[in-house]
Amino acid sequence: MNLRTILTAIALAALGYGFWLAAGTPPDAIQGEYVRIIHVHVPASWVAFLAFGGTLVGSLGWLATKRFGFDRFAAASAELGVLFTALSLLTGMIWGQVTWGVAWDWGDPRMASTALMFFVYLGYLALRHATDHPVDRARRSSILGAIAFVQVPLVYFSVNLYRSLHQRQTLTPGGWKIEDASTITALLTNVAAFSLVYLAFVVWRTRQLATAAQRAGAAEAHAGSAITAPTLGDHRD
Amino acid sequence: MSFWRHALRISARDLRIEGRTFEAIGITLPFGLVALFLAPLALPADADLLADVGPGMFWIVTVLFGMFVTFRQSVAETTAQREAIRLLGVDPAARFTGRVAASTLLLLGFEALLAPATVVLYAPGPIPAWGWLVPIAILAAAGLALLGTLVVDVTAGLRARMSLAPLLVAPLAAPLLVPAARAVDALRRGDGIVGPALVMTASVLALAIVGVLTAHPLQESST
Repeated sequence: MNLRTILTAIALAALGYGFWLAAGTPPDAIQGEYVRIIHVHVPASWVAFLAFGGTLVGSLGWLATKRFGFDRFAAASAELGVLFTALSLLTGMIWGQVTWGVAWDWGDPRMASTALMFFVYLGYLALRHATDHPVDRARRSSILGAIAFVQVPLVYFSVNLYRSLHQRQTLTPGGWKIEDASTITALLTNVAAFSLVYLAFVVWRTRQLATAAQRAGAAEAHAGSAITAPTLGDHRD
Repeated sequence: MSFWRHALRISARDLRIEGRTFEAIGITLPFGLVALFLAPLALPADADLLADVGPGMFWIVTVLFGMFVTFRQSVAETTAQREAIRLLGVDPAARFTGRVAASTLLLLGFEALLAPATVVLYAPGPIPAWGWLVPIAILAAAGLALLGTLVVDVTAGLRARMSLAPLLVAPLAAPLLVPAARAVDALRRGDGIVGPALVMTASVLALAIVGVLTAHPLQESST
């Protein structure tokens, strides 16, 4: 078994354990069983930030070193970030519908800024897809990857900067806004489990992109070898 | 030749191209006016509602159609022209600055012509201290010009650039669009606009720094 398989197995086991803990937490007095959405919504949002942070690191790494490993890591991280942002938006809308009575509130800066962040990184992936040459793609997308990260602090602090339906941060270095100990344990376990899932998949996807790049390089070399420079002896009238 | 003289020459060239083609004012502006005209047809015929949405529509049309004013550079400037400018030794940052200056002027003209049409079609009512809209309009034009020029450079030479560039600009324009709309609302209520103006100024400065710092590597991509 290689490292990637072991990491994936640990991540999935941690996710299973986190969900098992979440199933054992008490229902909320007002929200009832729906409060359990927190065990997907908060970890998904956290991993989206983590993934876009990974894209920033990969982008700056490529700009500084011109090593393609950084570019592939940035791309893999952005793909996962978009996926987890979509999950965060979806679970947030379901939660909003059952607690606020509306799935989408235009006056809520957290929802609007998260959706914008989603579209900015969709644009990042579209730019990568539209650029054929590897160096060109890495250069363009690393610049956009660095610019796009501005959205992340805007989303995170939006609930502090503007009045909003959305509650302020659940987990902060200063403490957490949950009183039940089992809910805190389950939530922290799920945050760790989702982070491990991100780590496992980003390693897997980065490796997959490297293999695809090697194959493309080999195919190009093979195609090129079919064309040889003409020599004087080959010329026939 | 100095940095600023290069920037001025590039800016003058862009404005001269616009003077000949008349694309921004002759084509994009009427297109924006059509959008302003169509929106009330799709909404209930309620004068109060239209007065409320009017300023927002003005900014939406400015962002969505104004970005095409900045994109016209990518059509006007071919790869060969970019290569020639590079070989002439023009500083990529000066080229960026010049193009942003030209686009800012064109966008200001675009806004100045769109605003009266918005007032006529949506009748938003009197805005106290409306003179404060001038710095907001300048910041919006400069920010959109910076963002559009940056994205034109990021997508230069790509086959899908004309569909990709709006996808990149539209969500990144939110830090300009939202405070601009909030500023108009604040003025209508008789409040101050310091907060929105500061957010817009910070966005413009950030875009200017990123644009100047990335001008050189982006020039390598586009030639």
